Amino acid sequence: MTGDILRAEGLRKQFPGVLALDGVDLSLRAGEVHVLLGENGAGKSTLIKILSGAYHPDGGRVVMDGRPVRIRSAGDARALGIATIYQEFNLVPQLTVAENLALGRPPRRFGLVDRARMERDAAGLLARVDVRVDPRTPVGRLGIARMQMVEIAKALALEARILIMDEPTAVLTTGEVEKLFAIVRQLRDEGVSIVFITHHLEEIPQIGDRVTVLRDGRSVAEVPASTPHDELVRLMVGRPIDQQYPRQRARPGEPLLRVTGLTRRGVFADVSFEVRAGEVVGVAGLVGAGRTEVARAVFGADHYDAGEVTVNGRRLPPGDVHAAMEAGLGLVPEDRKGQGLVLGAAVAENLGLVTLRDATRAGFVDRRGQRSAAAKVADQLGIRMAGLDQEVRTLSGGNQQKVVIGKWLVAGARVLILDEPTRGVDVGARVEIYQLVNELTAAGDAVLMISSDLPEVLGMSDRILVMARGRLVGELPAAGATQDDVMAMAVAEVEGGRVQ
Amino acid sequence: MRISATVLATAALVAGLAGCGSSGSAGSAASAGSAGGGSAGGAGVKIGMSVSTLNNPYFVQFRDGAQAAAARLGAALTVTDAQNDASQQVNQVQNFTSQNMKAIIINPVDSDAAAPAVKAADRVSIPVIAADRGVNGAEVAQTVASDNVAGGRYAAQELAKAVGGSGKVVVLQGVPGTSASRDRGQGFTEGIKAYPGIQVVAQQPADFDRTKGLDVMTNLLQSHPDLNGVFAENDEMALGAVKALGAKAGQQVKVVGFDGTPEGLKAVAAGTMTATIAQQPKLLGQRAVEAAVKAANGETIAKTVAVPVKVATKANVAQFQTS
Amino acid sequence: MAVSSNVLVQRRSPAAVWLAENGALVALVVLVVGLSVLSSDFLSVTNLLNVGVQAAVTAILAFGSTFVIVTGGIDLSVGSVAALSAIALAWGATPAGWPWPVATVAGLAVGVACGLVNAVLIAYGKLPPFIATLAMLGVARGLALVISQGSPIELPAQVAHLGDTIGRYLPVPVIVMVVMGVVAAVILNRTYAGRAMYAIGGNEEAARLSGIKVDRQKLITYALSGGFAAVAGIVLASRLASAQPQAATGYELDAIAAVVIGGASLSGGKGRALGTFVGALILAVLRNGLNLLSVSAFWQQVVIGVVIALAVLVDTLRRRETS
Repeated sequence: MTGDILRAEGLRKQFPGVLALDGVDLSLRAGEVHVLLGENGAGKSTLIKILSGAYHPDGGRVVMDGRPVRIRSAGDARALGIATIYQEFNLVPQLTVAENLALGRPPRRFGLVDRARMERDAAGLLARVDVRVDPRTPVGRLGIARMQMVEIAKALALEARILIMDEPTAVLTTGEVEKLFAIVRQLRDEGVSIVFITHHLEEIPQIGDRVTVLRDGRSVAEVPASTPHDELVRLMVGRPIDQQYPRQRARPGEPLLRVTGLTRRGVFADVSFEVRAGEVVGVAGLVGAGRTEVARAVFGADHYDAGEVTVNGRRLPPGDVHAAMEAGLGLVPEDRKGQGLVLGAAVAENLGLVTLRDATRAGFVDRRGQRSAAAKVADQLGIRMAGLDQEVRTLSGGNQQKVVIGKWLVAGARVLILDEPTRGVDVGARVEIYQLVNELTAAGDAVLMISSDLPEVLGMSDRILVMARGRLVGELPAAGATQDDVMAMAVAEVEGGRVQ
Repeated sequence: MRISATVLATAALVAGLAGCGSSGSAGSAASAGSAGGGSAGGAGVKIGMSVSTLNNPYFVQFRDGAQAAAARLGAALTVTDAQNDASQQVNQVQNFTSQNMKAIIINPVDSDAAAPAVKAADRVSIPVIAADRGVNGAEVAQTVASDNVAGGRYAAQELAKAVGGSGKVVVLQGVPGTSASRDRGQGFTEGIKAYPGIQVVAQQPADFDRTKGLDVMTNLLQSHPDLNGVFAENDEMALGAVKALGAKAGQQVKVVGFDGTPEGLKAVAAGTMTATIAQQPKLLGQRAVEAAVKAANGETIAKTVAVPVKVATKANVAQFQTS
Repeated sequence: MAVSSNVLVQRRSPAAVWLAENGALVALVVLVVGLSVLSSDFLSVTNLLNVGVQAAVTAILAFGSTFVIVTGGIDLSVGSVAALSAIALAWGATPAGWPWPVATVAGLAVGVACGLVNAVLIAYGKLPPFIATLAMLGVARGLALVISQGSPIELPAQVAHLGDTIGRYLPVPVIVMVVMGVVAAVILNRTYAGRAMYAIGGNEEAARLSGIKVDRQKLITYALSGGFAAVAGIVLASRLASAQPQAATGYELDAIAAVVIGGASLSGGKGRALGTFVGALILAVLRNGLNLLSVSAFWQQVVIGVVIALAVLVDTLRRRETS
């Protein structure tokens, strides 16, 4: 056990109604990348929050350099050299890069902030993470990838010995991931220990040294990063997943959703497609290709300039969510927390959101009926919760997603638009969502699925539409298609002109 | 596009409001000028007057008195409303100095905060008359004010007389820290000392407000059910107290108010209030304008003029109501 | 900090959960017990009824504000709208000579109309609620002064009965308060409009994407707030038997304080009618108790400020523990 810079021993943490951690061990060596793997709700977030001082454990201890330490606040963590980069960045968008890097402890001269030195220091830190940006740029103007680098630079400024990264690759494109990995390797070689959380199993052998697998609040295994994929999945879910993409194709029926010539100036142009009953149509493309925008326009969440949307033979007025809903359309948005859920409200409230109007008689809501409908759907989807009155905020990502889908099931939507339905969702819940898609299509409903996860698109769709630069650039049957086929289409058109 | 729309809207609004306003201040100034041909001394003298608030009948009467006097003397009087905002008042007085007023009357929102405005007028040698309230920390040509301390003393005497020289009384105080509340309270305390049989059992704030007067009186009746008298530092609170006392008002419990507002006088006539200390806001306004005209003509005037307060009781209330 | 709070969370008994959920009620009980000990006059039926009457206007305003605050908005105009509605009623009945039921409906309609104007500015003009209702605060107060020409207007006798007490123990303002409270609770808990308010306050975009017509629901929300303000204004005027243009000045802040003390979050999505009721009672009990205890005018403001801060602080700390 020598060489461990940090050890967590038997950590326990109880929340009201949930035992989040039930004996978690972790050993972190100096200069290694240690991957933390587990389904959502397995306890990864709780563990890193304990290490960063946001939570205090109810049992167990943390040992650093052989001595037990108490991390009671973010300040304590910082003093011990532990820095954490959460998915939601701790940056002030209005302030400049230099100001963010010096936040809380700007260099001072005669009591005033020494801007020149602050910017010099910032430039040095940015060079270490290989980001070429003027330190005087407001952080809000940087893209996500560069913001993340600023976060890493901030950790370096604090001379962190341990860097905890919570799903840093979730928001990055392939190229950006490569760059991140290069920086992470460089930091590792400088002796920094990195705790790395990811849901992308294929990243583990590329970046990791060792893997600790968490399941149901326990650490179940510590294995080398070279452990085969299937074995890791088995450790995570406690059972082998025979089929990651269990698509059961149904025979397509009548077209349920038909989109013709949909155009929104400057965003997308002349998008036409149809989705038939019993069909899953995947939409692939690079981030920024206009997929989400098309989905929102179809659903009436945004306006469009030209084109036509028909659901079940009914033409929808543009920009009218209510009409789309009435026609049987449902949208599970990309931004689950920001657009899909009322986080502070109970599971039952969220599940009943769409049917609120229909459950109203003379202004009064039939809350008992709403509740029993919610209970039924919650049961059908296997939402893991303490009860229907639990705040949605406290559910895991996968269960939150089930609630968003569930509200459309309660409403009996016939065409579901799923925008990145499994982002931030663990493997177990993911398969449950796929099963649900199968059930829906078997029952004659239709699904339009936008996803940046190519294996998912290939595995779960019947047909794949590819978008690039606001246009539909191709369509291919999922059976027999490869990732390369799809990517070739998505990238080829990029050379061409933009939507005007 | 958006900017121009805003500008247009603002301009339209201002034009519309100016139309409304002209029937008030500007119009009265013009008519005052033409009507005053016969009077001596004041013809054409431009006087600016900043009133603390016109959202109060008392100051409306004060303005009316001032306008009447200006009309009689032939002075051109411009009245502005500071809306109880001391900084707005400073701006108004500064505007007067740039409008070449020959004299300025200020009815301070706040005695201390008025000083900078008065100093600004002093610098360009425009005489300033302070009306109703004094100005602290700057020289004014004259202070015309009701004698609040004396009024408080009168109130004590009236209340003592009404309760027969002994018993328990309470005081409803105005907005804490205002000079009116301070002076009236001080006068009352001094005056009531002469009646050792009278015990002041509570002094509680009701902020010069009728509803609060009602609530506070209701509460005080709980702790002092055997009360004989109430002194309210203004009529609004006195009327609230009367409401709280119900049938007791004017019978077991005597109420004395302050200001002599029309409603207060009505209550005195009806007997629910025993007396109110009537200020004479019209006279106050009149005296202020007279002093302003004299000062503008370079005459020497007295440093202070105390406008007497009068006790209005059932016996003499009619004379106040008509005036 | 984190240690103690988490331990606390862990060992929660059902009783402790109830206490944490009903913090405002606990505070009210503590206040009542404390005042009963400190003042022998406090715990009498009459005094408690007085507290109820004194809470009524704030509570009714606060019920209306609860709707708005649950949607994540704010309504600063309720005090002014209350005054304007009462003035409109009194003006319609007395100078205009309408039958009193017509005048009453007109008064209520004015309140609702003010709310609708607020909502149009917010929902369609995209003004922040703070600004839109701040503008209405000025406009409504100004219109009240314009209509009344700055003086109180007598209320028709039939409407003034709203300020009476039926028999010995049934003050009408308390009845109105309870009825409005029940109406507010039913709207919030049982109606589409109410449930939509929670959804909008919790996450406006999610509500919109779930088919809730957010703009239309905001119209309803602010109209309700205006309507409740009108009722409050009429009750206030009935207690004095006269509508005052400067009535209810600053009451919007008491209403917001009551809602927040009652456990609502200014960021929206949380709030209950019962909590608001308790919040309004806390403010009224506090003012009543301070009167009974003869606390000095200056200290009263300090105490009330501290209590508001404490009540909300306790609530925030509790939330932090459970989240």
